[in-house]
Amino acid sequence: MTNVIEIDSLHYRPGKGFALQDLSIHVPAGAIYGFLGPNGSGKTTTIRLVLGLLRPQSGRITVLGDRMPDDAPKILARVGYVPEQPHLDPTLTVNEIIRFQAAFYPTWDGARAAQLLRQFDLDGERLFGRLSKGQKAKVMILLALAQQGELLVLDEPTDGLDPVVRRDILAALLEYVSQRGAAVFISSHLVHEIERICDWIAVMDDGRLVTEVPMEQLKNGTKRLRVAGAPATLGPTPFALFAREPATAAAETWVVGEWKPEMAGYFAGVGASLQDVIDLDLEDGFVELLRSFRAGRSERSA
Amino acid sequence: MFRVMLFTQWKWSRLIILFGTIAAFALPIISLQGAASADRSPLEAQDLLRTVQSWGTLYPVLAAALGLFVAMAAWAPDHRGRHVHALTLPLPRWRYVLLRCAGGALLLAIPAAAVFAGALLATATATLPPGLQSYPFALATHFILATAVAYGVFFAVSAATPRTAGIILAAVGALIAVQVVAGVANVNFDIVSPLTLIVLGPAGPFAIFTGRWMLVDV
Repeated sequence: MTNVIEIDSLHYRPGKGFALQDLSIHVPAGAIYGFLGPNGSGKTTTIRLVLGLLRPQSGRITVLGDRMPDDAPKILARVGYVPEQPHLDPTLTVNEIIRFQAAFYPTWDGARAAQLLRQFDLDGERLFGRLSKGQKAKVMILLALAQQGELLVLDEPTDGLDPVVRRDILAALLEYVSQRGAAVFISSHLVHEIERICDWIAVMDDGRLVTEVPMEQLKNGTKRLRVAGAPATLGPTPFALFAREPATAAAETWVVGEWKPEMAGYFAGVGASLQDVIDLDLEDGFVELLRSFRAGRSERSA
Repeated sequence: MFRVMLFTQWKWSRLIILFGTIAAFALPIISLQGAASADRSPLEAQDLLRTVQSWGTLYPVLAAALGLFVAMAAWAPDHRGRHVHALTLPLPRWRYVLLRCAGGALLLAIPAAAVFAGALLATATATLPPGLQSYPFALATHFILATAVAYGVFFAVSAATPRTAGIILAAVGALIAVQVVAGVANVNFDIVSPLTLIVLGPAGPFAIFTGRWMLVDV
């Protein structure tokens, strides 16, 4: 098994408006896969489809080698899930929730649960409903890690949390991944968080996949170029051209993806000159990527 | 697995079960209190039967209330969490529903046992007039079956989405509204009576709630 999650040609339309269209995603085994996109882009819907909470209209979802939703119970026994909103019963104590969860997972690691309870400084006798937002997030992570899943699916697990709690959670997550070699599928709109921990990244916008690449490729391949003397119309380029804007009277700024230094020779071939190559961080790259994707869609629909 | 499921349901419905059990235990005792003594004449035996019968109307009410509240308590936390937790547990949905159903059913056995215990105590401490006999086992069985029917129906309705439950309630409401309008307009149209007969008649699903709920009878 090379991919822990494989989504092929997925279509899902819950109502008249939003729809996931022709979505294909491949999460490699052992990867920490960041799922990035603006609010409402379809990240949570995709995660719900991956977990069998929703049924796709068409397409195929395979998780850990089994078909979802047909083999849902088998898959869910091997997947740890942290939802966007804590969904546990507020009238149960933390210890009661842990005991409840442990009964359903044959691989449950009680020692790890106890250790995380101490590490997160959680009071086991406290009602879940009385916990702060950060404490609730810690309980959710504790449950996902103690069940020893081969795949962790995390839906904006640190959204709205203070930096200390966020750091605690990410540290526990990374420790687990390094010990178990588990894959992580983590959705977020916090670009810097994704940049720090992920080795693969997929970007969604309006129900469509914009790109799916190794993190290094996106980070190293997204550049801002200063180009002089470029012709108004261009043929095919060896890199992905996201944006082209006038900078001065003589020069333009290009935002490109999949850039490699050897591509500099292209400019001489079209009668232009490359004056400067500027690195972009992931956030800038993400914004340019989305801008280019949206502009392309507007042109096609026009 | 069943143990933790039972525990959560106990936690959610323990007050209902507690009050239901007290009521179920007290009802047979109160219905016979001061009513039975050895020197009663046949006419007084008639009075006793009337008293027992009037108290007997409370058994189906208690059974229905227990079935309703325990069924609602079984699903309320899942509805609050939009079923996400339940649906991400590694077991088929039907098995989860079965575990929830069995948990509630087992808890309802407590008030049913209380009816039996209360009935036994009431008849053991009373002297019945000649010709009258006690039926604690039959009464408890009647109560268990009524509770099971109420629980089953309300469990199914509670398990549904709020939309489905809304549709069911709207249909019942519409039916009653039509009947009221027909009554006000003096139209000879009675839909409630035949439906009541179907539901509560001898072959109806809720027939168990009708009939005589007698701890003491001839």
